[in-house]
Amino acid sequence: MTRPPFAVALLLLAVGCQKPVKPGDPLRELSRAERDRFDRGKVVFDSVFTPETGLGPLFNATGCGECHENPAGGRGDEVEVHATAFRAPVCDPLAQEGGPVIQQHTTPALKQALGIDQEPFPPSATARAMRTSPVIFGRGLLDLVPDSVLLAYADPDDRNHDGVKGRPNRFVDGRIGRFGRKGFVPTLREFNAGAYAAEMSVTNPAQPTEEDVGGKPLPAGVDPAPDPEINQEQLDLTDDFVRFLAPPTPLKLGKDGRHGRDVFSQIGCATCHIPTLRTGYSPVQGLNNQEFAAYTDLLLHDMGAELADICLGLATPADFRTEPLLDLRGAEHFLHDGRATTLEQAIELHGGEGSGARDHFKALPAADRAALIAFLKSL
Amino acid sequence: MQRLIRTAALTAILLVPLVTSAPADRHALNLAQAATSYTYQGTVRAVNARAGTLELITGVGMSLRVVRMKTAPTTRLVAAGAAPRLADLKPGDVVRAECRRTAGGLVADRVEKLEVGAR
Repeated sequence: MTRPPFAVALLLLAVGCQKPVKPGDPLRELSRAERDRFDRGKVVFDSVFTPETGLGPLFNATGCGECHENPAGGRGDEVEVHATAFRAPVCDPLAQEGGPVIQQHTTPALKQALGIDQEPFPPSATARAMRTSPVIFGRGLLDLVPDSVLLAYADPDDRNHDGVKGRPNRFVDGRIGRFGRKGFVPTLREFNAGAYAAEMSVTNPAQPTEEDVGGKPLPAGVDPAPDPEINQEQLDLTDDFVRFLAPPTPLKLGKDGRHGRDVFSQIGCATCHIPTLRTGYSPVQGLNNQEFAAYTDLLLHDMGAELADICLGLATPADFRTEPLLDLRGAEHFLHDGRATTLEQAIELHGGEGSGARDHFKALPAADRAALIAFLKSL
Repeated sequence: MQRLIRTAALTAILLVPLVTSAPADRHALNLAQAATSYTYQGTVRAVNARAGTLELITGVGMSLRVVRMKTAPTTRLVAAGAAPRLADLKPGDVVRAECRRTAGGLVADRVEKLEVGAR
């Protein structure tokens, strides 16, 4: 008779005593085979490419781990350059001039051939954007939130009159986007495959053609590795590593932090930074139908003129996707370009649809502001 | 057995949208045509109705490419409930173009304007 309660107590104890997930850890519920792919994927993720193995001839980094580091999947200190042209209402990503990602380095062979140290900035660009490398923890979970959930949070006409709209971005082929600071890329798989090509100019089965130089073909002899420069298995392993990176466990909240969590909702932060989302179906148990702390709606919001930079897809220069608040305690810079060095600055730089919550924050008593920051630093 | 049937049905349901919404620069599935036939789905960048040319933006993730194609008198233009002319297409429209590679470059056999909502 006492066995079931004892078993339940044991289970609760085991759950309660689980080690917190640290930045860079895999999801807890991975099978042995999935864990093996995570480990092998990490090796590919940490690979350093050379021109002989596919790097360049234009590139921002020599490997994924150069920008997502300390630990693998974490933040880096690199800042890259994006450029597009906004001719309202149409956004031109300037693919014909090398955009939207403008590579900042060249291989020795390309430098010798063209005498350039970086890709030329597109002459037709109407704006330049600086982009820091975000953490990529929990992206496998974000990938699996159904489009219907995003659409349910969207309120493009502000029908509830709260001053917050929210709408999904769309990729060039019309699908709903969610990855990247402008929420442009529909799936994690495509984001990863595109990053190999755009950041390292490493061609792969999903993007088998090389980046050109500002829209002009590569000079002969500057790209010695045959395309595709990585194979499907390497691409799949990288994808699995990123997909299986767990969101770090938030720190245990004290009294202040718990109060700060309430303030977060009360002043309107949680209108866009939706605290929890739920994934749909996945054959991977650790990703299947999981509720997780996301603090995003994955939608575009107008953040005001001060933050505005490039357009992308349906995103106007002022539109940004709500940033998931993951691993904030490890961050030293905030916002899409790292311009804020404290959380207070980041909040105070919110404009446009974020100005209501910002103004409430600025009007809070000092103790409430401190509580809110304590909560954010627990994430 | 029932479980097997359920699994097969679920697999089929999951795979159908993957096949029909394949990324823009995936080759057409017909193996007999694989060497010369392509389907691109992307955003119109430029249209020159007089020259009969069309430029699409396609790509994977943040790695984007421009695909240039010509139309021919036999090219079919399709849109929901209408038969548009090439001149009716404008930058920002999303289209699916079925093309074949010729000595003179890509030629579109069919261009369908897609309604993708909220554009």
